[in-house]
Amino acid sequence: MRPDRYMMTGLHGVGSRRSKLIFAGAVYLGLIAMTAVFMFPLLWVIGLSLKTRLQVFALPPLFVWTPTLENYAAVLGQADFLQAFVNSLVVSSGAVLLSLGVGVPAAYAFARFPFRGGSFLFFSLLVMRMLPPIAVLVPMYILFSKLGLTTTRFSVVLAYSTFSLPLVVWIMRGFFEDLPRELEESAWVDGASRAAAFRHVVLPLIRPGLVAASILCLQLAWNDFLFSAVLTNNATRTLPVLMAGFSGGDTGTDWGGMTASGVLVILPVLIFSFAAQRHLVAGLSSGAVKG
Amino acid sequence: MGGSTTAVRQAELHSLPGVGFRTCNVQRWFDRQFSRLAVLPTTAMMVLIFGIPLAFSFYLSFQGWSPEQALFAGDFAGSANYEDLLTDPQFLASLQVTFIYTAVTVATELGLGMAIALLLNVDLPLIGLFRTILVVPMMITPIVAALCWKLLLDPDHGVVNYWIGTHIVWLGRPGTALISVMVVNLWQNAPYVAVLLLAGLRSLPSEPVEAASIDGASAWQVFWHVTLPLLRPYILVALLLRTIFEFRAFDNIYVMTSGGPANATMSLSMFTYLASFVKFDLSLGAAASWMMLVMCLLLCLFFIAVIRRREAN
Repeated sequence: MRPDRYMMTGLHGVGSRRSKLIFAGAVYLGLIAMTAVFMFPLLWVIGLSLKTRLQVFALPPLFVWTPTLENYAAVLGQADFLQAFVNSLVVSSGAVLLSLGVGVPAAYAFARFPFRGGSFLFFSLLVMRMLPPIAVLVPMYILFSKLGLTTTRFSVVLAYSTFSLPLVVWIMRGFFEDLPRELEESAWVDGASRAAAFRHVVLPLIRPGLVAASILCLQLAWNDFLFSAVLTNNATRTLPVLMAGFSGGDTGTDWGGMTASGVLVILPVLIFSFAAQRHLVAGLSSGAVKG
Repeated sequence: MGGSTTAVRQAELHSLPGVGFRTCNVQRWFDRQFSRLAVLPTTAMMVLIFGIPLAFSFYLSFQGWSPEQALFAGDFAGSANYEDLLTDPQFLASLQVTFIYTAVTVATELGLGMAIALLLNVDLPLIGLFRTILVVPMMITPIVAALCWKLLLDPDHGVVNYWIGTHIVWLGRPGTALISVMVVNLWQNAPYVAVLLLAGLRSLPSEPVEAASIDGASAWQVFWHVTLPLLRPYILVALLLRTIFEFRAFDNIYVMTSGGPANATMSLSMFTYLASFVKFDLSLGAAASWMMLVMCLLLCLFFIAVIRRREAN
């Protein structure tokens, strides 16, 4: 089936009713095929998490079975998993809060008051985000261990700032630039200080931006593996580190427990991201395309 | 937000203590210094977690140092660490693997992402649902995604081998292992590219496309000569971002192959990780990470120069 010119005009172009229908059918077919390919791995793994040990290894693989929640019950009964869950939660939200607190005023300054050295500083922040994390991690590990910080959750929060701080500044600067300048200017004329205008006029209006930045940071922090793999021990490790433990050489035989933990790890991010999907896409593209 | 209008905000402002006084010297000083004070915490943080560590690892990369020693008690080793790296077959293999991996995944992601974006750009009922579903893989924790694929590719019980009717040890052979780690990455990041390009497609003006169609251009001609050039800034950004992120490939490789078999999936990040945190040769790790830094920086500068030139034209 030849691609149709409506592809570019979103069906608003000229053409007969019949060719429009054929085109729509072809697009749906493509979309369904694509969705099937992209969703199959995830759905299959969710399926595995709902099988008993015997069902997991059945040959030929079972496509129809009575789902069981025993794997989830087993995982949620493990102290290890719950500890890692709490660690992940603490470390991710810590990184988000720290980056917002430190980065939002800076983003505002970058957007509103050009100053000497400002563009150099902003460029350095971008470099911090672009450079490979392992390169920062090697010296960070040494310095933190000499300071007695390794294996603490605080060290992980600090390490996460290498990506969450630039992200916050980058996204928030875009939101501040989109905000009409007149709002603060009238506050300044009324005698408000820069800081007061920022706190009482700008900050309340910028809430969607704060939500977008927080979600993106939270997702990155929740999903990080490398930093917490090096900087934590068994008591402070996060969920991805716990999950990586399943991969040692062989995948073992507890596929049910493994997939159930995996689903529980990705569930919070998915729920969170969908709840704020509008913000997320706006944040992704504004953060990336604006410069 | 919060139901309060600007007028209300300003009324509130007047009632705040200390807001109405213009003549206060302290306030003037604070206003003059506002941007400096606002970026101060960020600057301090950058120096602390970025500047000092990188400077230290630069110093360390010229030292012979072991973790038992005090921070600055190593022996000056000149360029020995770098020479070791450049004569180490494993490091040279990791260079090669990283460049192949980056080039192939980025190119495929862009092609696949463009196809997905074009499909998602058609206005049809239910298209929003597809847009929502297709971004799911990119949200998934990379470690979990890699584990999922490890199960799918399992030689004995994996559903992939069952469907193809083979008994391929996907992660045990150099060629298929590299392809396998790439596939996981594609699965996660082609949708990411699609989201970026879709944002680009949505923002394009419709007039040039309509004019070309009316003039009798075929769908392919419209895409190639009108849509693609208009989309160039978005494509370049996607290219830049993906190149930087594929260059640091680690999570999927760690879980699926740990760099093996026979270094076939040994990325630079994996090499540096093994050198630093498994063999604990941290000065060699520092040298490897500085070589990565320089290469990554050169890549960034190259892309930024390309983007600037495009904008200038």
